[in-house]
Amino acid sequence: MYENQEESYGNGYGSRNGSSTPTGLSKFKRHATTALQAHAAEDGPNNPFNNVPLSKQYFNILRTRRDLPVHKQRQEFLDMFHSTQILVFVGETGSGKTTQIPQFVLFDDLPHFNSKLVACTQPRRVAAMSVAQRVANEMDVKLGEEVGYSIRFEDVTGPKTILKYMTDGMLLREAMHDHNLTRYSCIILDEAHERTLATDLLMGLLKEVAVRRPDLKIVIMSATLDAQKFQRYFMDAPLLAVPGRTHPVEIFYTPEPERDYVEAALRTVLQIHATEPEGDVLLFLTGEEEIEDACRKISLEADEMIREADAGPLKVYPLYGTLPPHQQQKIFEPAPPPARPGGRPGRKVIVSTNIAETSLTIDGIVYVVDPGFSKQKVYNPRIRVESLLVSPISKASAQQRAGRAGRTRPGKCFRLYTEAAFKKELIEQTYPEILKSNLSNTVLELKKLGIDDLVHFDLMDPPAPETLMRALEELNYLACLDDNGDLTALGKMASEFPLDPPLAVMLISSPEFYCSNEILSLTALLSVPQIFVRPASAKKRADEMKALFAHPDGDHLTMLNVYHAFKGAEAQADLKRWCHEHFLSLRALQSADNVRQQLKRIMEKSELELVSTPFEDKDYYTNIRRALVAGFFMQVAKKDPSGKTYKTVKDDQSVLLHPSTVLGVDSEWVVYNEFVLTTKNYVRTVTAVKPEWLLDIAPTYYDLSAFAKGEIKTSLQRTLDKVKRRQAMKGGR
Amino acid sequence: MATHNATGLEDEEDDYMNMIIAEPTKPKEKETYTQRRLRKERESEARGRVKSKAEREADEAAAREAALSKSLLDNPNTTKNKGLAMMAKMGFKPGVALGSKDNVGARREPINITMKDDRGGIGLDSEKKRKFREEVEKEGKRVKAEEGDYRERVRREREEARLEGIVGAAMRVAERMTGEREEEETAQKGDFSEKKPQISTKPLKQINILWRGLVQKREEEERDRRMRYDLQQSLSRLPTYDDADEDKDDKRALGKDKIQHTLVEDLEEEDSELDEFNALDPAERLHKLVLYLREEFNYCFYCKYTYPDKDMEGCPGLTEEDHD
Repeated sequence: MYENQEESYGNGYGSRNGSSTPTGLSKFKRHATTALQAHAAEDGPNNPFNNVPLSKQYFNILRTRRDLPVHKQRQEFLDMFHSTQILVFVGETGSGKTTQIPQFVLFDDLPHFNSKLVACTQPRRVAAMSVAQRVANEMDVKLGEEVGYSIRFEDVTGPKTILKYMTDGMLLREAMHDHNLTRYSCIILDEAHERTLATDLLMGLLKEVAVRRPDLKIVIMSATLDAQKFQRYFMDAPLLAVPGRTHPVEIFYTPEPERDYVEAALRTVLQIHATEPEGDVLLFLTGEEEIEDACRKISLEADEMIREADAGPLKVYPLYGTLPPHQQQKIFEPAPPPARPGGRPGRKVIVSTNIAETSLTIDGIVYVVDPGFSKQKVYNPRIRVESLLVSPISKASAQQRAGRAGRTRPGKCFRLYTEAAFKKELIEQTYPEILKSNLSNTVLELKKLGIDDLVHFDLMDPPAPETLMRALEELNYLACLDDNGDLTALGKMASEFPLDPPLAVMLISSPEFYCSNEILSLTALLSVPQIFVRPASAKKRADEMKALFAHPDGDHLTMLNVYHAFKGAEAQADLKRWCHEHFLSLRALQSADNVRQQLKRIMEKSELELVSTPFEDKDYYTNIRRALVAGFFMQVAKKDPSGKTYKTVKDDQSVLLHPSTVLGVDSEWVVYNEFVLTTKNYVRTVTAVKPEWLLDIAPTYYDLSAFAKGEIKTSLQRTLDKVKRRQAMKGGR
Repeated sequence: MATHNATGLEDEEDDYMNMIIAEPTKPKEKETYTQRRLRKERESEARGRVKSKAEREADEAAAREAALSKSLLDNPNTTKNKGLAMMAKMGFKPGVALGSKDNVGARREPINITMKDDRGGIGLDSEKKRKFREEVEKEGKRVKAEEGDYRERVRREREEARLEGIVGAAMRVAERMTGEREEEETAQKGDFSEKKPQISTKPLKQINILWRGLVQKREEEERDRRMRYDLQQSLSRLPTYDDADEDKDDKRALGKDKIQHTLVEDLEEEDSELDEFNALDPAERLHKLVLYLREEFNYCFYCKYTYPDKDMEGCPGLTEEDHD
């Protein structure tokens, strides 16, 4: 039936010839509809998009949808949507913008009459999936048909799809092959205030595409009131704001700065429990360890309060990204009931990282405790380090946190800093991701998007010049860009992989080292979260289990051993038990398996051979280590003559091997997967390599004339001399 | 070698008054085997010495800070950087930010990394710094003041302290004499029912301003003493704590019947009149007290004598000097 319609509406403007079944949209004129018309079409009796009779459940949902704050402004939205190409839409949390606006657009843009789609981007995969499911229900269609989603490694769309929720990264990938995004008639960038790397790039790109494609409609949706910045960036685009459904939140500051923010936080939570009326508490802390520790302490203290002061029961739940999903789900359990009938009400406390700031909405929170810190990842091009440090949040973040207290009823937010400190010490907005990231992957993507002048590309917040310089330099060393800054054949191939350039280059080079199967597995393992589990309660046992897989030459090889065991018959017989017994994350391993499949497909498309060195061959592991060097030769450290510490090559930073490594201290040279700054300088996931390989595999980077005088240069020089002597001897023979 | 000789000659011509002591020229002879061995040993020892953890961490942090604070663009080696060369081809000039030239807020420097190694709350560091700065400033001012008229100041301070002492004595006299007179008056009225309690129950503000300060100070001391006592007796019981189970006898036993809660409030009340009086010079206050005693009681504070009549014949004058 869909096909029929497509033929009859070939010109796209709803002038139907009456041969096919009438749908609710037959009288609609594209970009000239009204809220009233849409309202009538929504009322059925048949689904306006597929002409199937609408279900009872549909009408139930429809009623609640019409209560949402955005609904009142549907006509206003349409008027503005008709009058402009780019529209900035501000809707606070709870306004219903993510689910409703794309539907408003569907009824007006009628993409199916033009065989086009409406895309709505989300920063997070989970959100794209769950929102798509929700909207499919709202529209009474099957997920994957009219409404679908597309995230990395998973595409749930079909030929009928007219509304596609997708991660911003996916839309960016599509844009690499279709610079003008011709498949879409309207693009909605949701949660733009989060300023993910992909959203920022998309905005820069859309600004250019808008000029080339006057027919393309663009809606930028944001949840914060800093929307003027978006307006200004998009040539003073008009703005529509819809109030959210939030209650007032009273904010309290401390009179003096706190000496210990964790202790102050615990004190505040317990005080709330002792003195404030019913309502759940949300406490923001910075990391897993801190959170688990705080949970323990609050539980202990609360037990005492219950025993001695007849306080109500208190349930404490941790919440952080690496927590298994079934444990994350626990935070939605209701607060415990009073200990006895008529007793004081129970309460739940959630101790969370900043994922509860935006990504997750927990109803019932009335009190928020905000010490004002979060762990933030920042890349610094000067020493090429990614730091993960506890830093003060921004004012915008603090407001967002406070807002969490007003979801169900008026709430209170306790800020553990003074009002003066809030005003003076917090930056206005959280730094967008583009200012905090290594841009080598981004540069490759921009090149692929057809943007050649990276210096003048109009980003909302352009990164520091040094960051771009480093990225270009790295890509040049990886032979992805030539000296003119143009993509090489290798660079083009590398950009096909959704991987960081060193990983992509390693994978592409791996057939030359006769180990592409193994490197493929390893790449997948390096692209997923930590596979080793090390609970605080069983550290020793976890370490013993890890030792079973340990390879003396390094962590990469150890991970590979794990994967091979995981794929073995014993483990496959009962994966869950096997992983649990061996302190491995089943979720991470399964997702690695999935990533491996996807990468394998891309390799096949790129005609990269999948080969292995026989396991019995003495070079089996050596080949893998050599292949590692092909991608990670810029991430090498050499042991300091004094012993314990290592020095990174070229940047000359003193680093320690991360305590989690299986590698002994006797390895002279190592490649590392990441250099992170936490409380110390650490290199993580390390494998021993030989200096000869460095000189052999990456001669441009290891051109000794470019090295500063020092121990590393001397050592490399000695190696070079040795190699030359050996060659001379061979030649002499 | 030639240059070395040349400088050697110049040295000889140097002015003998030159204060620079020339470094002794290096011994020309070769070091002996033992010397060399010792030197090598020393050197390798220095090299081989394992640095302490703290030293290593300090080195690590210093190297990091050094690298983080220097722009890559300022590094002379960067001219050879291929990344920079590519950017130059795209029209980049050092010192200019990336992006549209209309974007005024664009960054020129990467985001700075700051390590946090304690759990101090937001604003604690700057609060500490502020306090430290204030302290330094205060110290600076104090030192400056001392440099000037140290002796003059000490003399003045001593004089003031002495006068304060005299004022205190005069206050006591005035209070005693007034008290005696009041007692006499009540006695004359034939009211013997109750002996006056030790602590005056008169509200502070009704006491003559001339010695109100004295009474206040005494009451404050009394209050503090009592609070200390109460605290020692029962940590959880404040003097104001009223226990319904206690009857009159209990209260008496606990010494609660004597406690005058009003006093505490009284003490905490603002008393601008007294503040004003205390702000006067001690000499002025003393003068007022002396005058009061003379007028009310025909008493000369310096003669320590109550004259029989208003004329106060025999008293040399109003000031201390007159009595010298």
